[in-house]
Amino acid sequence: MKAKTVLGSAAVGVGLGTLLLPAAALADTTVSPATTPVGGTVVLTTTCNPKAGDALFRVTGPNRDQNVRSTTAAAGGGLSAELFTAGFTLGTYTVTATCGDGSNGGTATFTVTPIGGAQAGAGGRDGDTGVLAAGGALAAAAVAGGTYVLVRRRRRATTVA
Amino acid sequence: MLPRSEPLRVAIPGIGVDADIVPVATDSNGALEVPPLEHPEIAGWYRRGPTPGEAGNAVLVGHVDSLRGPAVFFDLGRLRPGDTVEVTRADGRVAVFTVDGVGAYPKERFPTERVYGGGAEARLRLITCGGRFDPRTGSYPDNIVVFATAAR
Repeated sequence: MKAKTVLGSAAVGVGLGTLLLPAAALADTTVSPATTPVGGTVVLTTTCNPKAGDALFRVTGPNRDQNVRSTTAAAGGGLSAELFTAGFTLGTYTVTATCGDGSNGGTATFTVTPIGGAQAGAGGRDGDTGVLAAGGALAAAAVAGGTYVLVRRRRRATTVA
Repeated sequence: MLPRSEPLRVAIPGIGVDADIVPVATDSNGALEVPPLEHPEIAGWYRRGPTPGEAGNAVLVGHVDSLRGPAVFFDLGRLRPGDTVEVTRADGRVAVFTVDGVGAYPKERFPTERVYGGGAEARLRLITCGGRFDPRTGSYPDNIVVFATAAR
């Protein structure tokens, strides 16, 4: 799963050259995974310099505006925190980090989605669908579609009693 | 790319689908809602996500069958890359999608990121049940997912 990253206004600084303080301007934030079923945990990471102190992640979205303080020095440098999404309304959230020295720590988004798949069937009359899908067998089933319809009808005839 | 506008109907000429759409969210377990089984001919649109034609992944869900027989997305698994899906929206515009592929996934390994993940392009995901119905649990083990991208 690839984390979505948005470089905030810091990216403009890079474009303008080295007049701005490059080290402070380059901090950015990632959320991994970028998509989580509701109740899942995402890791917020910013490249803020840990020596400047804890970073603060502001999480805003459909039903939420909360701050999460960094708890861990990330493996590759920077700071991270875990965010537990139980009770989150489904939708897309924005994470904005502020470094310990008050500088911009970057922005990223993540999406809270429904859990797992959908219960989208009731078993019909005989309990088989148009797709007897076992992974890669899907294509074969479709190619043999005509034949399968016959099988299905026959089975239906024998089991609906 | 289209602005946000709720979908009203979905037509899939290749498998004879022409169905009304209602907005859905999730049930108390956090799973995607499906339109009521009393109306197996209706498809659902995941209303927390993008609308079809908007940037990102729009998600439609429909039953594969009901106790009475085949339902709206019964033949979803027969779609092939290149097939067309048309979604009529409240603003009167029709978002046209081309199928990229079809997959079957055990529900415990549902491809959440590929379904809901999104990006800059307007994409569509169609979901129904698949596999062999388990009468003991009263459910299907798999989800069939159709992946499509807005036609240009």
